[in-house]
Amino acid sequence: MTDEKQAMIEMRGVVKKFSNAAGEFTVLKGVDLTINRGEFVSIVGKSGSGKSTLLNMITGIDHPSGGQVIVGQKNIYDGVSESQRSKWRGENLGIVFQFFQLLPMLTLLENVMLPMDYVNKYDFDERPLRAMELLELVGLEEFANKLPVLVSTGQQQLAAIARAMACDPPLLIADEPTGNLDTRSSDTIIKLFQHFVALGKTIVMVTHDPSLTSRTDRNVIISDGEVIDETISRALPQLRHRHMLEFTKLAQRRVYQPRETILSRDQVVDHFFMIRSGEVEVVLQKPRKEEVVLSRLGADEFFGETELLRGGKSIANVRAAGSPVEALTIPRADFVRVMNESPITMEAVGKIVQQRLEARRVADPRRSWWKR
Amino acid sequence: MANIIELRNVSKTYSTAAGDFPALRNVSLDVQAGEFLGVVGKSGAGKSTLLNMINGVDALSSGEVVVSSGGAEVFVHALSEDEKALWRGRTMGVVYQSFQLLPMLTLAENITLAMDLVGDFKPRESRARAMELLRLVEIEEHADKLPTFISGGQQQRVAIARALANDPDILVADEPTGSLDSVTADHIFDVFSRLASERGKTIVMVTHDMGLKNRFSRCLTLIDGELEDETKAGGA
Repeated sequence: MTDEKQAMIEMRGVVKKFSNAAGEFTVLKGVDLTINRGEFVSIVGKSGSGKSTLLNMITGIDHPSGGQVIVGQKNIYDGVSESQRSKWRGENLGIVFQFFQLLPMLTLLENVMLPMDYVNKYDFDERPLRAMELLELVGLEEFANKLPVLVSTGQQQLAAIARAMACDPPLLIADEPTGNLDTRSSDTIIKLFQHFVALGKTIVMVTHDPSLTSRTDRNVIISDGEVIDETISRALPQLRHRHMLEFTKLAQRRVYQPRETILSRDQVVDHFFMIRSGEVEVVLQKPRKEEVVLSRLGADEFFGETELLRGGKSIANVRAAGSPVEALTIPRADFVRVMNESPITMEAVGKIVQQRLEARRVADPRRSWWKR
Repeated sequence: MANIIELRNVSKTYSTAAGDFPALRNVSLDVQAGEFLGVVGKSGAGKSTLLNMINGVDALSSGEVVVSSGGAEVFVHALSEDEKALWRGRTMGVVYQSFQLLPMLTLAENITLAMDLVGDFKPRESRARAMELLRLVEIEEHADKLPTFISGGQQQRVAIARALANDPDILVADEPTGSLDSVTADHIFDVFSRLASERGKTIVMVTHDMGLKNRFSRCLTLIDGELEDETKAGGA
């Protein structure tokens, strides 16, 4: 990234292997992932895909077998002892789990104060005041002196979030925070998370609920221990994770300079293109040299599908617009095969094909090229 | 033997938007020291409310709760919230269906924390005591692991050890086997059973699992907030 984004979490080639009686099992197969400061990122994946293990690598609860994890510029595994990591975690991470983990013998207020006592942050007298402020923020001030068992599960989770924020950490990690809650409580929690993000906090949330992933800035998909390329998952969201992973491995990166031609009209198209960054123009050259820009496509949009699915040559010129374009390409044979295996994606892509053909017909009604 | 817990005509009514809901109606109950008392009933029968009355977690609507432990006779219903918290910390251990261990602390640290909160044991003693308690629930070899790396049944053992941290005379347990498979549940039940028979702890456990009925030293049934006439299995 060329702009001022600052990495909060950087995972480089992270591998995690487990051994059991049945042998060795690789859960994470070389994960590269960067999460920037101030981002609200959801992580999804099927059960067993490795998403909880991935979180455990970020929190330092478990150790990677290989690779590096850098959180807030600190390499959290190299030369760091367990107790140093525990201290670091207390000061820098808030963690929220599916099952709240509030101490049953302490009131909500005391539960929220606990991390401050543990990390020894804030003056002794200031702690109850700060805990109360956090309970007010999550709407629990009137229950501050109640024990967890007397409030609802949704309220317990809100208290757990207040506790996670007790030491004002820059990073909040949440593992299925709404997994045990009704939709209304879930909604409250996501709004609260959005509030923290607006204050500049970074949030990484594992969830399986699609209605929550759509409310985060970024959605990272883990499949079989590998991270799926986000351009692919955004461009073709209907694909099965297995196919997304296949495309992630097949994809080739291509870079085009401003105004560079990517596809010429009547050229045989042999790749499917997905735009990672920049903008392309789909241009129709009319007989008397006038140019019609049929459409402009940006990040996470694709082109080439019409030709690949219908067969044949490019129906228009495609070129980079005013800035460089980074694209991912999938070879024709692989694209067609996966489309045949994924009728839902085919249907979604088919609709876009129809729209584009229609747009072109309107722009250039003289030639009945679409009937060929 | 003397009664360690006495409930006299205890009623608890919750006010809800739909009107008043009586969760407990005029419940009287004597529990003797060293008893392993089971209270069974369907969901909504008032089981958890009954426990919350005994350990003073919730306030009763009418009646009296007297607990005689450590040479003191305490009128639980008359204590202030702060007094109750202090008294409860020393007198009663609580175990719930969900284990609620702090995930960032090792098993041993989860137990020493409970001691630190009450302050009856010096830091140096508390580690040794935590190890002893983990041995009692047969899990000391995992003492320095984080909760994520042990099974649900093992986590519940740690939660029991934590409930014993401040050496209370009484343990109250709310569906402690509710989220465990039947074999694991059986093992956990045995842990409670031994705490009563070998360590002289008084245990009150509520459960909806009628199958456990004959395994307590005494078992009562709660129906719609009322205790059924006692049918003493063993007698004291």
